[in-house]
Amino acid sequence: MSHDGHHSVVIPAPGPEFLPHTVAHHFDTPVQEFQAAKLGFWLFLATEILLFGGLFAAYFYYHEAYPETFRLGGHQLDWKLGALNTSVLLLSSWTMAMGVRSAQTSQKKKLLVYCGLTVLGAAIFMVVKFFEYKAKYDHGLFVFPEMFHGYDTATGQLPWFKDYHGVMAGVPHGHLFFAIYVTMTAIHGLHVLIGAGLILWVMKGAAKGRFHAGYFLPVDLVGLYWHLVDLIWIFLFPLLYLVP
Amino acid sequence: MSAHTHDVHAGHAHGDLQMGHHHVSSSRMFANVLVALLILTAITVATSRFDFGSANMLIAMVIASVKASLVMAFFMHLKWDTAINKIVFLSSFLFLSLLFLFTLTDLATRRIDNSLHTTKAPVDKGWVQPAPHAGH
Amino acid sequence: MTTNVPVIDSHHGTPATGKPNFLNCSSGLMSWAGTLDHKRIGVMYLVGTMIAFLCGGLFALLVRLHLWEPHGMLFSNADYNQIFTLHGAFMVFLFVIPAIPGSLGNMVLPLMLGAKDVALPRLNLLSFYLWLTGAILATLAIVLGGFDTGWTFYAPYSLYTNKAVVTIGLAIFVLGFSSIFTGLNFIVTVHKLRAPGLTWFRMPLFVWALYATSLLQVLATPVLGITVLLVAFERLYHIGIFDPRLGGDPVLFEHFFWFYSHPAVYIMVLPAFGIISELVSVHSRKPLFGYKLIAFSSIAIAIISFLVWGHHMFTSGQSTYAMFAFSFLTFFVAIPTAIKEFSWVATVWKGSIALNSPMLYTIAFLIIFAIGGLTGVILGALNVDIHLHDTYFVVAHFHYVMMGSIALAFFAGLHHWWPKMFGVMYDETLAKIACGIIFVGFNLTFLPQFIMGSRGMPRRYATYVPDFEAYHRASTIGAMVLGSGVALMVFYLVASLLSGKKAMQNQWGGVTLDWHTPTPPPLENFDHPPSVTTEVYDYSTLDLRTTQTPVS
Repeated sequence: MSHDGHHSVVIPAPGPEFLPHTVAHHFDTPVQEFQAAKLGFWLFLATEILLFGGLFAAYFYYHEAYPETFRLGGHQLDWKLGALNTSVLLLSSWTMAMGVRSAQTSQKKKLLVYCGLTVLGAAIFMVVKFFEYKAKYDHGLFVFPEMFHGYDTATGQLPWFKDYHGVMAGVPHGHLFFAIYVTMTAIHGLHVLIGAGLILWVMKGAAKGRFHAGYFLPVDLVGLYWHLVDLIWIFLFPLLYLVP
Repeated sequence: MSAHTHDVHAGHAHGDLQMGHHHVSSSRMFANVLVALLILTAITVATSRFDFGSANMLIAMVIASVKASLVMAFFMHLKWDTAINKIVFLSSFLFLSLLFLFTLTDLATRRIDNSLHTTKAPVDKGWVQPAPHAGH
Repeated sequence: MTTNVPVIDSHHGTPATGKPNFLNCSSGLMSWAGTLDHKRIGVMYLVGTMIAFLCGGLFALLVRLHLWEPHGMLFSNADYNQIFTLHGAFMVFLFVIPAIPGSLGNMVLPLMLGAKDVALPRLNLLSFYLWLTGAILATLAIVLGGFDTGWTFYAPYSLYTNKAVVTIGLAIFVLGFSSIFTGLNFIVTVHKLRAPGLTWFRMPLFVWALYATSLLQVLATPVLGITVLLVAFERLYHIGIFDPRLGGDPVLFEHFFWFYSHPAVYIMVLPAFGIISELVSVHSRKPLFGYKLIAFSSIAIAIISFLVWGHHMFTSGQSTYAMFAFSFLTFFVAIPTAIKEFSWVATVWKGSIALNSPMLYTIAFLIIFAIGGLTGVILGALNVDIHLHDTYFVVAHFHYVMMGSIALAFFAGLHHWWPKMFGVMYDETLAKIACGIIFVGFNLTFLPQFIMGSRGMPRRYATYVPDFEAYHRASTIGAMVLGSGVALMVFYLVASLLSGKKAMQNQWGGVTLDWHTPTPPPLENFDHPPSVTTEVYDYSTLDLRTTQTPVS
């Protein structure tokens, strides 16, 4: 197209190790491009809050209906592992914030290091999560291999909920807590994995020198996504591990 | 209109023609926020050791909200962001609170309905109660 | 209002002397399939949603034909359940929600703002492909055994039926994100890409309406997403939260579902309001009466719509206290809605009315929406609704809104912007005849349903007592008339593309920015970046004679 290139605005690279950025053709200024993308991303984060919000509403609803089930269920989770994972995510949120700062100040190496540390945090989080899930499996509180087996509609006996040690006996619908626990943490865990993937993608661009003081939009947005993952966990931790 | 601008001079690196005015936070502030978040996590765990009755949930949620506010304001830079971005993100919590408000009020007031109809079912009078799990 | 300052500093009305437009600037399948141009994406949405509409319409005709006889004419009871579910799901999720924002909104919004494109063009294309994926999944669900839950997917039936509920749930999840991304894109575009001088209160009301719609799409749709996911999880591994056998509460499903689906009613109807606001002004050649009131009423409707969802659940087992609150709040929706209706009528009043086909559709809308809206107020009354719940009265009410108001407003907008989009005019005589047939057919279909509904005919039944035969037969005849009107419309619209006469540069003498680009618009919309110096809907500056040059 003849109009392309003609009107494009280019942000120069601040140094030889960086690349310039070309503003998309339908924007007049870099500010407009940055603000448009930022507003769009905040709107997207708002949809994430509402999506998780449905799960939180379900949590509060059944916490209200079956308080004993939830209290007892919360005791079956290891709050120490929960607190460990909370700390890991908070730390990784900090490294991510420092990563964005490194991009803003054109510190290429620091950006890569901080992003790398954040991915490490995500990995530790998922490993801890794996051991938590395994403990649930061992105790028959969520038998993952049998989760898709259907259930006996006459007795309401669920194949994935065996409760080998009878820890939930005596409270109504003990499976509800674990169903909500696994559903919420699995969807959250999926976000952790997606976030880690996005940070790896940022690192790839950062290694090429795409991000610097003049243009750090993708780092900023991926950072926001990562903080959202942290934000949701901040509420999940007390609700699931320390059921009030 | 800068539509015909071919290049932006490097001297404007922090100016309007770049990505707008950005607040670059100090490393010290980020460290302070991190420490505050970790301390608040410890407080959450500590308070859960005590029973404040029906205030338990309130206390846990207030602490979590303070932590969330710190993450939003500082790590997510919302404190320095544009008004519209603040409104957008905070309104998601506002509308979410409507979902909580009406569903939970329905559930809570259904108990009153049920007591008027003298049933003892936990939530609704029509519920089927499966036999409790006996354990193995 | 009587200044002679040129409204827009780009020239209008000049023939486009063979310069390439967005339709012919490139060719080949890939130039469309990979396009980032909002106008081409709008055309693809138009084709897609119209096909969905015709499928949904076909299912509707099958439903009506079946009900010709009291014991049912065509299907087994189980098949009938599938057919009416298909009709509802196709119409709601594939047509009514995406149609106006996706096609006309995509086409016109950036033009009205004086922008080169929407703010996030790649996301826009993704929205379309998500829509397409949703449509394919929905069709796949039919092949995989169909779904018979009604478009509302109420638990616990949706958990127990052996039909393809997971597939259609996935389709709705994907369609939800298509809708979210369109809304998100429009909000960013309105905030960041308005032409210089185009202040918020100079924006055309179609833009205001799309903006309010977008807020709803972003804030409500995620809850539908998580709801259909939870239904899928429930079916796959029985989490129990909606299943009463496992201690769950089906009423919670209804809360979740209507938290989205009531605002969704306004996701559907607000863009229609926006089209009507434009058209009453242009075709009466008068500035809108109560511009700011209409703009703010769109926002007010958007907000109030989040407070009233429980009025769909008056017989669900919800607490009486919640029902009281929901019923009370419901009446507040009527206020901003009535403000709009009165403002439209006041705009037409003593205007220089052009009775062309877009205006005829608009007038049909004004009549039908008055009925559709007011019967909604009746249904909002708690005690009355207990009697009318799940009867044909409800069916008639929401068809007066969904079909009679929204689809007709969509047709009105389609006829209005058709010459702008394609540079050709359809056969006006046929268009007026089709509008008349559709209006008569529509009322013949749904007026009898009000009567039989108020007399106790329940909805979604494959058979009925013989007392209702006359009403059902009138309704079926009406549906056939309506269907033939729509068929005629599709015929002359398609014919105009093949052999229509050239449209005028500014066919209707509009003054909003969309009429200040060449027709059809070039790839980046404006030859010169426009800027706005006068108020919106100021017809005093437009000399009709200069605009009426044919498209080259």
